[in-house]
Amino acid sequence: MGGLVLLSLVLITVSFRSSALDGVQGTAASILRPFEIAADRVSRPFRDTAGWVHGLASAKSENAKLRQKVDQLQQRLVLDEGALQENVYLRSQLGYHGPPSIQNFSRVNATVLTNPQSAIDESITIAAGTKDGVRIGAPVIAPSGGLVGKVAKTWGSVARVVLLTDAQSFVTSMDLTHPSAVGIIRRGGGGSDALIFDRVPKQPNVSVGDTVITAGSLGSGALPSMFPRGLRVGTVTSVSNLDVNTFKTIQVEPFVNFATLQSVIVLVAKQ
Amino acid sequence: MDAPKAALVLFVVALLQLAVLTEYEPFRTSSIVLVALLSIALLRGSIFGAVAGFGTGLLLDTATLGTLGLTSLLLTVGGFWIGRYGETTARDRFHAPFVSVAVVTVLYSFGQIALQFVLGEPAPAGLVAHALPLGLLLNLVLTLPVYALIRRLFPPLELGDRVREVRLLG
Repeated sequence: MGGLVLLSLVLITVSFRSSALDGVQGTAASILRPFEIAADRVSRPFRDTAGWVHGLASAKSENAKLRQKVDQLQQRLVLDEGALQENVYLRSQLGYHGPPSIQNFSRVNATVLTNPQSAIDESITIAAGTKDGVRIGAPVIAPSGGLVGKVAKTWGSVARVVLLTDAQSFVTSMDLTHPSAVGIIRRGGGGSDALIFDRVPKQPNVSVGDTVITAGSLGSGALPSMFPRGLRVGTVTSVSNLDVNTFKTIQVEPFVNFATLQSVIVLVAKQ
Repeated sequence: MDAPKAALVLFVVALLQLAVLTEYEPFRTSSIVLVALLSIALLRGSIFGAVAGFGTGLLLDTATLGTLGLTSLLLTVGGFWIGRYGETTARDRFHAPFVSVAVVTVLYSFGQIALQFVLGEPAPAGLVAHALPLGLLLNLVLTLPVYALIRRLFPPLELGDRVREVRLLG
């Protein structure tokens, strides 16, 4: 027992302070990968059945809401397409060069091998690594386009992704409707996945329902943002403007359900 | 023969936890691996429990690409302690697996926080306290079927095999 405790302490020290065990851990994780994928595939029909049954219960009311939303979005799409064409034309006329956007990144699709394992674990492992071009700091998004987090550590064919809900995760973001509202997205309090849109000055108007997106690199700072402009982060669910606070208190509901991710897209900067 | 069987059972349970159960949010707060390990430790004793805990922890740390040794340390101590509890006091009592799971679930959660804190990582004790009641409840619910299955796979040892154990009389 004493020997095992000592061995654990040695492993913690070596693993935490150096990268000497990274190779071994990466190889072992790669060996485990087929078993994890097999377990996932075996359980998928059961999960799909459970999801189907659950979906049936709310399908009718959801259908009516979605039809209404489709009508609204179709009207908006017509306006947006016109604005997009105008934007492309004006950019070419002005020779305008904007900040890096998602078009400057190539996409690496990866299966999620393990979801967060405990209430304090805010990371997932994915089946893509350095062999696929994945690098530390690469932004990770969900297939639906919502921001998931960034790559924290890479091995040959696996990588560890720290989620947006991690306590040490901060992303410069902006309100899509009111672009002057720029702040930092960080984890909210409590046990939920709610995020806080922090450091937003009181002056710009931010409303409930606004979409928050990544702001990319602002200005010409020495440390550019790792996230390109325009990645969808979430929707504003509450705004408070107390006199005693220097900044607004804005709560954001992320577009992504971090607990049930099955696949992600890693954005790799094009050379 | 018990060691390979235990390794296989814990491997399958760890895969179940890693790849399937944690997709459901409530199961992020509970741990079927912990329940299975404690059941085995209770039935097979302290040394067996400690070794099984170390191996299972190493497997979890490897699969989640976390800090190696962190989960091993907690599960080694948990496995040893519950194994000792089984050897000395209460292996045959109905409440033993439930008491073991309840106590170790609480200690495991706060042990994780303490280790994170020592390593200088974020250690949100509030989050753990918030998630603990549901995790405890789920672990206790899991205990009944898991312990029954483990007991079938690892039947209690004959009295002659338990030479190192304390037996309560009366």
